[in-house]
Amino acid sequence: MNGSPQKITTTQAVVIIVNYMLGAGILTLPRTTSKAVGTPDVWISIILSGLIIAGVGIVLVTLCRRFPGKTVFQFTREITGSWIAYILGFAMIMYFMVIAAFEIRVMAEVTGMYLLERTPTWAIIMVFMWIGIYMISGGLGVIVRVFEIILPITIIIFVIEILLSNQLFEIGNLRPVLGEGLMPVFKGLKPSLLSYTGYEVMLIMTAYMKNPKKSNMAMSWGIFITTAIYLITVVMVVGSLSLDGIKTRTWPTLDLVRSFEIQGLIFERFESLLLVIWIMQIFSTTAITHYCASVGIRDLFRSKKIKGIMYGLLPFIYVTAMMPKTVDDTFKLGDMLGNVSVILFAILPLVLLLLSLIRKKGGKHA
Amino acid sequence: MTPFRMLLRVASALCILLLISGCWSSREIEDLSLYVGLGIDVGKETAFEKDIAEQGGTYPKKNYVTATVQIAPGITNSQSSQQSGSPSSGKTSYSNEQLSGDSMLQIFRQFALRRDRPLIGHHLKVIVVSKDIAKKYGLNQLLDFVLRDNDIRPNCLVLISHHRALDVLTSQDPSRIPAFYLTGITNNSYLSNKILDPVLLSKLDAQMQSGTSFLLQNVLYSHGEDKFSGGSIFDGKTTKFIGELSQTDLEGLSWLNSKKKGGVLKTHNKQGFTVVYEIKKKKVKIIPKVVGNDISFHVKTESEGWLMEDWRAPEEEEKGEYLRELEKDFAELAEQQIRQVLSKLQHTYKVDVGEFRDSLRIKHPKTWKKVKDDWDKIFSTVPITYEVKTTITNPGSSTE
Repeated sequence: MNGSPQKITTTQAVVIIVNYMLGAGILTLPRTTSKAVGTPDVWISIILSGLIIAGVGIVLVTLCRRFPGKTVFQFTREITGSWIAYILGFAMIMYFMVIAAFEIRVMAEVTGMYLLERTPTWAIIMVFMWIGIYMISGGLGVIVRVFEIILPITIIIFVIEILLSNQLFEIGNLRPVLGEGLMPVFKGLKPSLLSYTGYEVMLIMTAYMKNPKKSNMAMSWGIFITTAIYLITVVMVVGSLSLDGIKTRTWPTLDLVRSFEIQGLIFERFESLLLVIWIMQIFSTTAITHYCASVGIRDLFRSKKIKGIMYGLLPFIYVTAMMPKTVDDTFKLGDMLGNVSVILFAILPLVLLLLSLIRKKGGKHA
Repeated sequence: MTPFRMLLRVASALCILLLISGCWSSREIEDLSLYVGLGIDVGKETAFEKDIAEQGGTYPKKNYVTATVQIAPGITNSQSSQQSGSPSSGKTSYSNEQLSGDSMLQIFRQFALRRDRPLIGHHLKVIVVSKDIAKKYGLNQLLDFVLRDNDIRPNCLVLISHHRALDVLTSQDPSRIPAFYLTGITNNSYLSNKILDPVLLSKLDAQMQSGTSFLLQNVLYSHGEDKFSGGSIFDGKTTKFIGELSQTDLEGLSWLNSKKKGGVLKTHNKQGFTVVYEIKKKKVKIIPKVVGNDISFHVKTESEGWLMEDWRAPEEEEKGEYLRELEKDFAELAEQQIRQVLSKLQHTYKVDVGEFRDSLRIKHPKTWKKVKDDWDKIFSTVPITYEVKTTITNPGSSTE
């Protein structure tokens, strides 16, 4: 299993992309974007950035398809030579690791606040990471199968829950459309683009796809589903709590669900359900980034023992997760990750693709 | 060695099961005090507090506010019932506890020194703020803790009491929990246009953040009974109480509000008999007009309703001419109500608590951007015209 991981189908690739993209961001997305936009046109920013990310994603997949069966850590060497490849590879590994840590930290922060107030943070994180390592040590096949179970549950519960809030929804909160022109929409692009990090997983997954030709299909679908979920979230949160109402809420999406009670249904309150599926999403993001980081180390240093690497990463992830002192620091770490991701996975793939075309490395489209 | 390894596995599985199946943060619900209502009053020490303070049992604080916490179910022992505001004897469905201080959280934590069962805010339903304290402190100051707290849900209702909030949270009937009763009344808002749409914490927060002046439902109290009547106006910038609107004013306001449902209009026909019209459908259109720097509004309200009461002595069938005449009367009455509330808003208080702000924001975003900072001032000089049309579509179940 170590040498030749199982191949994944196109649908499975979509599932991985969506599971990775949906993560910590969805609880804060309405706040970060609407703060930047300042008008109710937040949803336009979301759609626009979805389109931009789809473009970036296609470039990224095109690059991967020139090197069939190889992950980004293996083929950068062919394009740029060993030294630069080591630096880039190391940066990506760090990135994946810090993302895993960041997601864990946000999860611990929210669970500590709303679910398990008196449970020590280490206890929450420990259980989380143990189950994570148990899953990823089973290899890609296991990860994908777990993801395939998680995703439909997430989407169904999440969409139902967000739509239940329609009693608070007021269309007036979303009007006027483009009242101050297009400028605010562009201002909102940065935070909404950052929420789309996760497509970079295809840098690795393309290598394991049964049919790499369909990788751009997988990418487009993955981004489409995520955009749809983000769109519903932002429209409902802004429409229900109004632009001014979410500016000061730390976790606006959670507050939306906390703002209503429904009598007559089995449950009156839905925030714990939301937290459950959200924790599953964080779990999947953490697991896949942990896995990617391990694969990165394996491929970069041509090692064979991926399990050892996985366990070796555990303490690093834990320590990184505990590093931010306050919630603010945590959010800053998230912003930093977003910026790094733009450089590493939006600009770099384009450069690499151009270089590989110029230097005629890699085959034609696989 | 297999049996041994097997044994080891089973043992470790059992250990893990024991460790992880428990709920770390669990607390028995019987051991908690669930508070369902919170009253905020001007600081006034209770007899208990004064007594304790004499014995030296106080801490550095200024008695700015008195918080009343309504706990359900109440405590059965007799000693607690000496607290003012709690029903006097026997097993009660609720009990009111009061403490004073200058920080909400400190007051809440102070309860831990007095009661064995800690307070928990997950089920807070209603917050009653007294008018007097709202004059002194902004709501954003008084409710800051409530908005930050992670127990209290943002779907909690906010009401303003005319006198002390403690009274409003008191009922004569010991089996009735005032907090639930108050939330129940707001659900009747579809029956009467004299009840404001419920304002939840989340909405209130949005209004305070946007700097909009806003209205909150008033509650009156008399002899152990509460009644909803009128609304309190809060200034958008300071979030302090600045004035009140009467029941009739709210009716007038409802003619300018597209969401408000229900309500009745009463008039007297030519012979002086009572005739009552119940509003079934309403369409409100607020049309803002901007010419240069001049803003004006035109409100078009169309309503359909049923003739539900007619005291005419020799009963006759209501039709044709008679109905048209009544329709005109009702429309005039509605216009008169609008006139009254607008003059109050524009001239007495100089605030906009209607939907004018929103209609301008949506229809003329550029103008809105210019005027939004001192909208209340500008609003008081803006000309507003209105027309009301009422149509009687149905005479109810009896036609004679």
